[in-house]
Amino acid sequence: MLEIRNITKQFPAVRALDGVSLDIAAGEVHGVIGENGAGKSTLMKILAGIQPPDQGSLTLDGIPYQPRNVNDASRVGVVMIHQELNLVDDLSVAENILLGREPRRFGLIQLGRMRTEAARLLEEIGANIDPRTRVGDLPVAQQQLVEITKALSQKTSVLILDEPTAVLSERETTLLFKLVRRLKERGVAIVYISHLLPEVLDLCDRISVLRDGRLVAETTPAESDADRLASLMVGRDLVDVYPPLVPPSIDTSRLSIRDLSVPGHASKITFDVAPGEIVGLAGLVGSGRTEIAEAIVGLRAISGGEVRLDGDAVRFRSPKQALERGVAYVSEDRKGRGILVDLSCVENTTLPNLSAYGRLVPDRRRERAATADWIKRLDIRCPDPRSPIRTLSGGNQQKFAVASRLDARPTVLLLDEPTRGVDVGAKRELYHLIAGLARDGLACVLISSELPELLGLCHRIAVMRQGRLAGVVDGPTASEESIMRLAAGVGEEAA
Amino acid sequence: MSESTQTDHSGGGHISTAWKMGLSALERFGVVIAFIALFTYNAITQPETFLKPENLRNLLNQNADIGVIAVGMTLVIIAGGIDLSVGAVMAFGAAVGLITMNALFEGSMNETLAVMIGLGTGIALGAACGLLNGLLVTIGRIPAFIVTLAGLIGFRSVTLAIAEGGEIRAAYGLTALQTLGRGGLEIPGVLDYYEQPVIFYWNILIFFAVVIAGQLLLGRTRLGRHFIAVGSNEVAARYSGIAVNRVRTWSYVLVGACAGIAALMSLMRMNSVSSSGVGHLAELDAIAAVVIGGTAMTGGRGRVWGTMLGVLILIMISNMLTLADVEVYWQGFVKGVIIILAVLIQRGKAN
Repeated sequence: MLEIRNITKQFPAVRALDGVSLDIAAGEVHGVIGENGAGKSTLMKILAGIQPPDQGSLTLDGIPYQPRNVNDASRVGVVMIHQELNLVDDLSVAENILLGREPRRFGLIQLGRMRTEAARLLEEIGANIDPRTRVGDLPVAQQQLVEITKALSQKTSVLILDEPTAVLSERETTLLFKLVRRLKERGVAIVYISHLLPEVLDLCDRISVLRDGRLVAETTPAESDADRLASLMVGRDLVDVYPPLVPPSIDTSRLSIRDLSVPGHASKITFDVAPGEIVGLAGLVGSGRTEIAEAIVGLRAISGGEVRLDGDAVRFRSPKQALERGVAYVSEDRKGRGILVDLSCVENTTLPNLSAYGRLVPDRRRERAATADWIKRLDIRCPDPRSPIRTLSGGNQQKFAVASRLDARPTVLLLDEPTRGVDVGAKRELYHLIAGLARDGLACVLISSELPELLGLCHRIAVMRQGRLAGVVDGPTASEESIMRLAAGVGEEAA
Repeated sequence: MSESTQTDHSGGGHISTAWKMGLSALERFGVVIAFIALFTYNAITQPETFLKPENLRNLLNQNADIGVIAVGMTLVIIAGGIDLSVGAVMAFGAAVGLITMNALFEGSMNETLAVMIGLGTGIALGAACGLLNGLLVTIGRIPAFIVTLAGLIGFRSVTLAIAEGGEIRAAYGLTALQTLGRGGLEIPGVLDYYEQPVIFYWNILIFFAVVIAGQLLLGRTRLGRHFIAVGSNEVAARYSGIAVNRVRTWSYVLVGACAGIAALMSLMRMNSVSSSGVGHLAELDAIAAVVIGGTAMTGGRGRVWGTMLGVLILIMISNMLTLADVEVYWQGFVKGVIIILAVLIQRGKAN
């Protein structure tokens, strides 16, 4: 259906795509995987008409396909659903689905007909959403369903999904997969981009692996497994993904959480973290993990319980106060909250701790020296520390986000999904970094949705379920099943 | 697609890279180029008048107060805010400052001391108005546009009420203010038409001093870095441990203080306060200079020296149009076109 031939795209610094050829067949789910910077996003932008290729050709159903913009692409049925959704928050679901194609009579929009039409389309894909709801009031997962409904209400022959499950919970992911399979039966060609290898293996009919702008392999789930795909992506075998676990030397508690309650999100949470210990916080999306961390550093109101630091009860009113007492938080939302994308790498590194470089006037030479230090210590790839941080890859941005918090010499580090959107190679480096920090005596809390990384890194794992602590398990002896049981509330009596 | 068209594609890529580099230089330094071009044009077309030291001096003197406000406006816009009340605050500060010094002088205080206290009162009042704006924006959580629009209406109204709609003059016999306004730095060897030394008034020197202070504050101090961080992404700044509300409030205090300084500058120049005229539309001239100078209205990115050139460009355009016998009614139209052009040229930077 869609033929991609010898696509090349050159950017000022890198060749993002180098002679890539692919065939996407109707009624097929075609997975495209690769590390960050492998060229997946560029390829998808070319397919969706956001960027033109430098060389090569595209053919759709035998006809040359040269979209100049997104409208050109969607007119012939090629639709892309981004990680960042393209919906108008202030319009209703129905208005969004039929945006630009509203049923009209005498030049006026027929609201009733629009609503019934939208309701029909939503029902068709099995989404249980009221078409009158304001889109901004929906959770992200449902917004994504609205976007898919919108895409399918037009004549769609190729649907591109870019990391669609990044914002979804387990249950929602299952729903999405069902939907994708139904679309496949209807003959839609689906291009599926993801970081998560198990879901690619589960969903896709064929898998193409990109590395450094080239197509390095095309395979099927039957002839591959996650390990093989991972080594194809990085081009080498991954060994020692997780560093050896060193038990904490001191068993006094540095951070004690006692019956901590956050209104609407968590109630009566209790756990301890010792210096040198990594405590994982597991749980499904929405179980209150992030909110606990945010409450500790003063970003959310606390309705009960207390936080103790080295035995002293503390209640921070802002991250500034928390940082001054040595408690640092790295947000899960890297680009929105972790770093300042337009500021330079140096400015990002020293921002939380700028007063240490001079009360009124920061010493820029010392700032640069400290940044160079962190670049070396965390092995960050950064050609020019004075250039904006947005020019770096996700993994390197994340390392700077961590470095900026560490620059204030905290004694407690709260890490929220530190490896989200980071490729396999950079993940491994982050794991070693976190373990190294713990060995140096830092008390770490690691919030993660990836069970393997919790099991690989943590001394103990606290599992949350719907705002409550479902249990605490020992890292080295726990299994994915035992954590999932706690997180999902299966066999509660036994646990 | 054939071989030949492919080669064309990549060839076009190289040309467009060079073109893009030129374009990005234009985006960054367009304001410098525009300044030099306007200056040269004025110098060539009016060699007898424009370059005369007293002419340059007078042009600067008349607009130095707006220039100081524009520096403050640059800071508040970079920190992600806006202040529409500056013109009204300037009038308010000037009125209260003059009344204070009149009262002190008539209460038989030493003349110089009375003037100094009056001028100090003006600046302090400006900063206090800024503090009020800042607290309403941060703690009151009202959008800056609304708070300062209310300030624009409110402070002007108070000033009009104080002066009963008219003018406040310096008290009879109070001459120190005027003397101060005519004083300044005599640059050796610079003579006017009558072979008399040209004095660059204190107002002009204050303007350049504020520009330098503003640029240093923005580029070299912690507060300046925090302005940029908060204007760039307020949430990320808070997560990074910045006291966002305090930083934002400071930006309003500083722009208010700048309006107070502008108030004393207008007092020194005019020796009186017109309650409706002082600072009239100053907020818009200041914002125009900020925009021409290359500061992003969305915050997080900007430069004080650009604003200074923006002020000078606006001065030269008015001067040019006046000397070219363009009716004063049309001058606003030309300024409007210049502002749009400035934004169009600088837009590429955002991408």
